[in-house]
Amino acid sequence: MIAPSQRLRNACAIVGAGNSRLGQVPGVSSLDLLIEAMANALDDAGLKPADIDGIIVRGPDDSYCHHQQAGERLGINARFSTSLDNGGASQILSVAIAVMAIEAGLATTIICGYGRDAWSRTHKSDAARVKNQTRPDDQHAQEFGPEYGYFGAVAAHAFGAQRHMHEFGTTRENFAEIAVAFREHAMRNPDAQIRKPLSTADYFKARLIVSPFGLFDCSLRSDGAGAVIVTRSERARDFKAPPVMIRGFGSFNNLTGWFAADNMIRTAARQSGEAAYRMAGLGPSDIDTAQLYDCFTYMVLVQLEDYGFCAKGEGGPFVQSGALRMGGRLPTNTSGGQLSEAHVEGMLQIVEGVRQLRGTYPAERQVAHANVALISGHGGNQVCHSTLILERG
Amino acid sequence: MVPDTPLSKPVPRPSPESRSFWDGAKDRRLMLPRCNVCGQFWFPPSQRCRHCLAADFAWQESAGRGRIYSFVVYHRVYHPAFENDVPYVVAIVELDENVRLLTNIVGTPPEDVRCDARVRVVFADTDDGAVLPKFEIAP
Repeated sequence: MIAPSQRLRNACAIVGAGNSRLGQVPGVSSLDLLIEAMANALDDAGLKPADIDGIIVRGPDDSYCHHQQAGERLGINARFSTSLDNGGASQILSVAIAVMAIEAGLATTIICGYGRDAWSRTHKSDAARVKNQTRPDDQHAQEFGPEYGYFGAVAAHAFGAQRHMHEFGTTRENFAEIAVAFREHAMRNPDAQIRKPLSTADYFKARLIVSPFGLFDCSLRSDGAGAVIVTRSERARDFKAPPVMIRGFGSFNNLTGWFAADNMIRTAARQSGEAAYRMAGLGPSDIDTAQLYDCFTYMVLVQLEDYGFCAKGEGGPFVQSGALRMGGRLPTNTSGGQLSEAHVEGMLQIVEGVRQLRGTYPAERQVAHANVALISGHGGNQVCHSTLILERG
Repeated sequence: MVPDTPLSKPVPRPSPESRSFWDGAKDRRLMLPRCNVCGQFWFPPSQRCRHCLAADFAWQESAGRGRIYSFVVYHRVYHPAFENDVPYVVAIVELDENVRLLTNIVGTPPEDVRCDARVRVVFADTDDGAVLPKFEIAP
């Protein structure tokens, strides 16, 4: 099979990671949130903006040349600079491209990041709240959707959940366990947007949004940003923070569409994961913690299957075993994820993976013996996927 | 182009590629592009076959029968014009011609809709003159 070169395995490391304030941060633009996270990542690494010679970001959907705007605010020029367009899969892809650019000699020290003001944007007026849109109107479908009352990402993913329930007997109890487990993690995270306890009973009492999804199947609208700094591993011990090695990465894109074939129940996570495992020389049994793109509860369940943590169709029993909890087989989304910490389109999953592998969390937040983390990104119109495998330095 | 007001439902805005589909619906015919080279159908409409990339195709009427691949039930009102419609069913219907359409399932309570149920097309008039192909559970 085709996979990224094993020559790149552990060639680079993440030497800085940071996040902005998360949740409801009114009056701060997407760009300012991003710069806040970048400043924190630089501080984490003990670097100054002038030490950075590469920028890879994903802009908000209505922003042109976002990387240029980020560079302006950082006050730097860059050898390598670009913006990505793979939705929630972009953030991991930015780290993968950073490794490729560094190995190709295009740059030495690249900052990757993403930020958005999704809470502020969707709460600026009553009309904005109803529309709940983070994209400008002209980027929405003009036919084969809105005239049938089809709006939003909730329904797109709920289609997958419904089909999965039909084929494999998955239940809303399984989805509830995912929501409850991640909330428990968020309660240990002082930065998390939502830290209120959540029970299975609360999950079932909550209003339905687009069934089979109710309120707690859906990730948050968040203001927030994250950033990481990538450089060659041989320099990685020169920085303030303990390095985390980039052991493997992969991507796959089901461009034929979310509605095509069985793409919504056998996602691109499978091929993306196979590529990353092959580059890393590892398999599912080597992963100590997963930070999965949890835009909706169901997406966690299906990815657990597609990444081989359990067989296809066995995601329900796997999560019900308590596997995702601290102390479980695969503590997952240990910061609370997008369901409870903040939804920053996969960027915070990378930040949390780095922090777990540094092993510096207080005991209640630290995954025991966390040596390898698998991180996922999912997005675009549900079809782009990327995988990152990180290893303790 | 008719601007959406809060009280009117969005209207389909045909592209040059999809105009024949919407014109067909006005005649209560479910029209699909079919490749004259490989014989396969595809959807949404485009100027070349999605299977073999041939440009030689014709619009052909579908038999209008298929199955529900998946469906969801809207409880939340995303657009004020749908306030009186909730809960309503949006489905992906796989036609026997092996294409999938986004549509509504009508005539059956949402709680009785199931994946893989057989369906047939019905045509729904809208206030603005467009006709929407929708589906009902086949008896």
